[in-house]
Amino acid sequence: MPLDTSTYILAHLRLDGRRWNELRRLQAQMSTQAAADGSSYFEMGNTKIICTVAGPQEQKSGGGGRSQQDKAKIEVEVNFAGFSGMDRKKRARSDKRTSEMQHTIASAFESTLLTHLFPHSTITLNLHILSQDGSLLAACLNAATLALVDAGIPMTDYISATTVATTASYADKEEEADPLLDLNGLEEQELPFLTIASSGGEDRVCSLVLETKVHMARLEPMISVGLDGCSQIRGILDGVIRAHGRKVLEGKVG
Amino acid sequence: MPREAEPSNNAKAFLLQALRENVRLDGRAFDEFRQIDLSFGDEYGVATARLGKTKVMVRVSSEVVKASADRKFDGVFTISTELSPIASPAFEVGRQDQAEVLLSRILEKTIRRSGALDTESLCIIAGQKCFHVRADVHVLDHDGSLVDASCLALVAALMHYRRPDFEVRGEEVQIFDPREREPIKLSMQHQPFCVTFGYYEDGSVMLLDSTLLEEQCREGEVMISMNRFGEICQIAKYSGEPVDAMSVLNCMNVALEKVKVFDKLVKAKLEEDEKRRDVGGLMAELSAENAR
Amino acid sequence: MTSLKRSHATITPTTTLSSKTYLRTLKSGKVQKIVRELYLRQDIPCSSQLCTVCLEQQASGYHQKAAPFVLSATPAATKQFPQGHYLIPDTNAFLNGMDLFEAEGAFTDVIVLQTVLEEVKNRSLPLYHRLIALTKNDGKRFYVFFNDFRLETYVQREAGETINDRNDRAIRKATAWYNEHLQQAASARKSVRCPAVVMISDDRDNIRKGKAENVTAFPLRDYVSQLPEADKLLDMIPERSSTRDGKAELFYPEYMSMSAMLTGVKAGTLHQGIFNVSTYNYLEGSVHVPAFDRQLIIQGRENSNRAVSGDVVVVEVLPKDQWKAPSSKVIEEDEVNKNENADNEDESEGIVTEQERRALQEEVKKTHASGLENQPRPTARVVGVIKRNWRQYVGHIDRDSVRGGSKNGQAQQTVFLIPMDKRVPKIRVRTRQAADLLGKRVLVAVDSWGRDSRYPVGHFVRSLGELETKGAETEALLLEWDVQYRPFPKTVLDCLPAEGHDWKVPASKEDPGWRGRRDLRDLIICSIDPPGCVDIDDALHAKKLPNGNFEVGVHIADVSNFVRPNNAMDKEASLRGTTVYLVDKRIDMLPMLLGTDLCSLKPYVERFAFSVIWELDQDANIVSADYTKSVIRSREAFSYQAAQLRIDDDSQQDELTQGMRRLMMLSKKLRGKRMAAGALNLASPEVRVEAESETSDPIDVKTKELLDTNQLVEEFMLLANISVASKINDAFPQTALLRRHAAPPKTNFEELSNQLKVKKGMELRTDSSKALADSLDTCAEPANPFFNTLVRILATRCMMSAEYFCAGTLSYPEFRHYGLASEIYTHFTSPIRRYADLEVHRQLAAAIDYEPLDASLQSRSKLEGVCRNINFRHRNAQQAGRASVEFYVGQALKGRVLEEDGFVMRIFSNGFVVFVPRFGIEGLIRLKDLAGSERDEVDGVFDQAEYKLEFDAVGKGKRTVELFQKVRVKIEDELEGSTGKRKIKLGLV
Repeated sequence: MPLDTSTYILAHLRLDGRRWNELRRLQAQMSTQAAADGSSYFEMGNTKIICTVAGPQEQKSGGGGRSQQDKAKIEVEVNFAGFSGMDRKKRARSDKRTSEMQHTIASAFESTLLTHLFPHSTITLNLHILSQDGSLLAACLNAATLALVDAGIPMTDYISATTVATTASYADKEEEADPLLDLNGLEEQELPFLTIASSGGEDRVCSLVLETKVHMARLEPMISVGLDGCSQIRGILDGVIRAHGRKVLEGKVG
Repeated sequence: MPREAEPSNNAKAFLLQALRENVRLDGRAFDEFRQIDLSFGDEYGVATARLGKTKVMVRVSSEVVKASADRKFDGVFTISTELSPIASPAFEVGRQDQAEVLLSRILEKTIRRSGALDTESLCIIAGQKCFHVRADVHVLDHDGSLVDASCLALVAALMHYRRPDFEVRGEEVQIFDPREREPIKLSMQHQPFCVTFGYYEDGSVMLLDSTLLEEQCREGEVMISMNRFGEICQIAKYSGEPVDAMSVLNCMNVALEKVKVFDKLVKAKLEEDEKRRDVGGLMAELSAENAR
Repeated sequence: MTSLKRSHATITPTTTLSSKTYLRTLKSGKVQKIVRELYLRQDIPCSSQLCTVCLEQQASGYHQKAAPFVLSATPAATKQFPQGHYLIPDTNAFLNGMDLFEAEGAFTDVIVLQTVLEEVKNRSLPLYHRLIALTKNDGKRFYVFFNDFRLETYVQREAGETINDRNDRAIRKATAWYNEHLQQAASARKSVRCPAVVMISDDRDNIRKGKAENVTAFPLRDYVSQLPEADKLLDMIPERSSTRDGKAELFYPEYMSMSAMLTGVKAGTLHQGIFNVSTYNYLEGSVHVPAFDRQLIIQGRENSNRAVSGDVVVVEVLPKDQWKAPSSKVIEEDEVNKNENADNEDESEGIVTEQERRALQEEVKKTHASGLENQPRPTARVVGVIKRNWRQYVGHIDRDSVRGGSKNGQAQQTVFLIPMDKRVPKIRVRTRQAADLLGKRVLVAVDSWGRDSRYPVGHFVRSLGELETKGAETEALLLEWDVQYRPFPKTVLDCLPAEGHDWKVPASKEDPGWRGRRDLRDLIICSIDPPGCVDIDDALHAKKLPNGNFEVGVHIADVSNFVRPNNAMDKEASLRGTTVYLVDKRIDMLPMLLGTDLCSLKPYVERFAFSVIWELDQDANIVSADYTKSVIRSREAFSYQAAQLRIDDDSQQDELTQGMRRLMMLSKKLRGKRMAAGALNLASPEVRVEAESETSDPIDVKTKELLDTNQLVEEFMLLANISVASKINDAFPQTALLRRHAAPPKTNFEELSNQLKVKKGMELRTDSSKALADSLDTCAEPANPFFNTLVRILATRCMMSAEYFCAGTLSYPEFRHYGLASEIYTHFTSPIRRYADLEVHRQLAAAIDYEPLDASLQSRSKLEGVCRNINFRHRNAQQAGRASVEFYVGQALKGRVLEEDGFVMRIFSNGFVVFVPRFGIEGLIRLKDLAGSERDEVDGVFDQAEYKLEFDAVGKGKRTVELFQKVRVKIEDELEGSTGKRKIKLGLV
């Protein structure tokens, strides 16, 4: 039995040696897939994702029940590589969890992309999950932001996302529980956590998904730490985009 | 491909203008629910919830099945949802609509993942036999707030249901017919309910129990499930305009109030049903454990 | 609230990334490769109050609270380390010497390395919990240093290096780092002496390498011997487990096939019987098989081979050189194996623990001593199980087996359930609710016991409530004794009279209800029962006849009139078998409407009855007997005491009182005759709990007192039962339902009579019940009136238990009731609360041609099934009643400390059992507790032949305890730390 999160209170150190408010190592690249209209490669610790964007392109005939004529439709497909998890498992296509995730990503971007500029068209996001180690939805949202910027689709703001957990169940007093930022897979299994995405300014919550039982009193610190994390990530994404832009301007990349 | 008819621009504008003036089209306060009605069937485990014109029926049933190999110590609990054309012309038979996926996911997270039903108590012999409790959610009429109504009906049905009693002697199992032995209530750990907030005007207006028309006009929604102890089971804000973090937090307190109301309602209705079943007050005669 | 509250802790300095990769093999055989990131950092403090550098760069949590520094700037000094020293123990040091580390006053300023903590957790969860508790104890100054996260102390596993070697290296590196770090810290502050850092390890190789790397290292024993109180502390180091020579068996032996077992049993090479486990030694079981007089002994986990108390097993007798004497020692499971891990997902375990092996080995050494109880007896091993008798078990979760305080309850984990029944082994239970279930009474079911698991595996059924609460404990004992306490099914409602409580004896004699009934409403009948009795089964009358003889009637509630054979109510009653009486509760066999109203022979109202009417002569000899269904009207319902007062009050001369006086006179004669015939007067410890009327909280315990009126009722009931027994046996020689009490085999008394002979020079003759009755009378000590009762209690335990049977299954001589000294016997007089009586009523009704006999009562095989069930229910009802009294006695004693007289009932080599008559409690006193020792085991000088035990009691010097000795004991209730459970504890004064 390896140590678990219960040892956090001993020295305020998490299972991988981080403090409560530290992000994992973040690495990102843009334009990794030449064939796509926009693409990115994104790493949050050991969670690794490739995102490609196709479009805006003409709507497939008769496709999509919710098609609206006056703005572009966003389609999201999430693929799990067979080797991404600990066990090699095939995920069913119709998995409700995946389809919920796709819905979350699609609807999150509906509010930031200027879709009304592209009537009668579709923007397709393909997310390939190469490796999973927690904060999957958050990583997908971040990766998608980069790829959409790469594709040159106008948007009001970046979406930056992260996860936050609370150590409430292990603290001596619940009120003294620490929120933990950016979870790895192990922490996600042991602690109640939420995924939060922000865009459009300080303290604006774009998406919020919580799936594990937690007391409402723990929520405020979690959200505030989460939003701080989001703004850190936003800074990192911004840096990546600017660096990439500079290279494009210098003509170093296509 | 049938599709929900979009409300006309005029209807939308009217509704929004009214909201700006603090008026809902049906005259309710912003945080007021429509008439809530809950009734039980003659059979154990059948509950129907009504929120205004929205009507959801849930039927809970169980059977004994072989336990799955990787969850030897648990029974099986499944929730299946069906949005059929009965409820709204927008729903199709046999096709998994986005709305249906989301409804079933929210119910799944609210009831199943939060451990509302203690599945360990459904185990008969680990690895061999267990109960499979199945809840079928049928939406009969759709006028908004589907999730809230379904959740209410589902929790009520689970609390109402009784599974057959059984006995294990050595390695043999005997399942008793309800006539031989009183069936047993399911072991519920807590009772979570879902409250959906629709927001308008950049999050400055939050509506509870939206009608279908209100849902079609809103900028976004936050679905919160919690129990009366204030333990949140799930929050889902998938889409819509970004909203201020503070207003999300404020929703929690409102949700808690409403959940307490739901909780009381379900318990009162169950008690009523219990009384209805005790014809002639003879139930008391059946107690075997009596004071000396 | 208008804005979010924020914590503005600074973002911490940069970290270095590393990763760790390891393989894990699951029990299923699957291999997983796990990759984890590691963020190595330099801001993990050393936590020494000497150090200022660490203090400055220490990071804090969200709540801005930084942990205070733990390790003292001036730690304890020893001869060798005049500068003071910090300790860094390795994993084995903690595993072997946890008691030592917990000792007051020694072992302060200890650095627990992350590497070590993790290993301890791997090896033993209970020890891990104790270690964590130490780190939270301010006085001990234990600090957990996360060495694997600190850049300087992190050690990467090298190619070809074993995990253990890597961990040892990590410990050495951390020790070296601390050394250097403290020296810097001390020199920065000047004028401060720098404490040494000492590694404790019993691994010679590790110490040698440490020396080479300039790390101060000692074996635990060497280190302790330098301490001031070395002698006392050295005692607490357990002997190094005699390094596993014979590797523990990994698997239990496989069971034989069913056919092989049956053939073996038939051929006489194998034997079949019911497996029983000793209450005092969980490793010893016994099986009674027809081929041997004495029970076969089954010792040790391997031999009992997964059999659980109550299972029907097949055993093979071991060769004579492996025969053992029965254990003379108390061995309790939670004492021996308290440090085990519940979760065995990751690795295989042996089936026998080292500790158990040792406990049994000591046992073997003693078999060479002499004494009757000490002779080797036939010993056997289990080769298969014919039928499991697993039921649902009540117990509590072992606190130490629960991982972390994971309250969110999502993760499933394996924990131990410790059953209430000491004879049942711990059960591994996998649950998500472990944390919620702590401190609760829990019901679990056993599912399987595989060859590779030391313990059976079960699953959680439900929680009964908090430990020690009345509701939970009552339900627990009902479940433990399999009492059917759930409500009656609704179908029973259809079997009740439609009039409900308004039912009356029909006014018109033309009514079918009157058919064949005699009108006895004119007789002056009364009932005598315990106070507050509402289910009145029986009523009596006695009338003087003109010829000088007496007409005596026993009238029994006519339950069979309401409960028709084979309807839902009958089925339910037959299943329940009996009403169960607890201290404050009654679990009814029949619905209340019948039991306490329509059937109950309440006074002043007319009731249906089944009457036995005798003509008795002046000497209480039966002249004639008559059986009839009847209608009676009881004139009064007395309590025993009220009846006694009425009889004794000479001013009362009415017919009712006269009748009772006649009954009294006749009952005394009947009793005299019975005693002369050799009926036994046995004793069992009976006490009554007095409860406060409002709260029904127990306040006091009283011994039950017996009045003449008790015996009055008893005598006539016996008479009725005997009369009815011969009547139905005459009518249905194949199917009559009777009750017998077999004569106990001689060997049952061997031990007791030897004990009496050795200790008191008394003789116990057991040839016949008469001889036994007489010799029991002689076993008395004038100075000690209770001694006789004690002998009677012990003698009762040697008896067989009485049982129901079906007449056709045995020959007439075997019908005998040994205790009552009667040729034939049955139960007829309590049909409201015993199913047997109800069946007998039906048979009697058929015997007098009142109604035809139902088919179910004509089938011998069906009746045998009924007998089996009611025998079982009857025994359990008694046990449940006793357990309930025990619980209430415990409650009454709560928070009190009393001194009482007690008697030594049984002696072991490491403790003895004392009986306290005042409370009817029996308790074990362990030498270990008397010696006030922290150590696991204390043995005294045990003379088995003389039943004598000599030992050292703390502060009292040498003491000797003998069997039957009267001792003064202190009774107090004690809260068990590990379970949060209260239990009565006895101590010698």
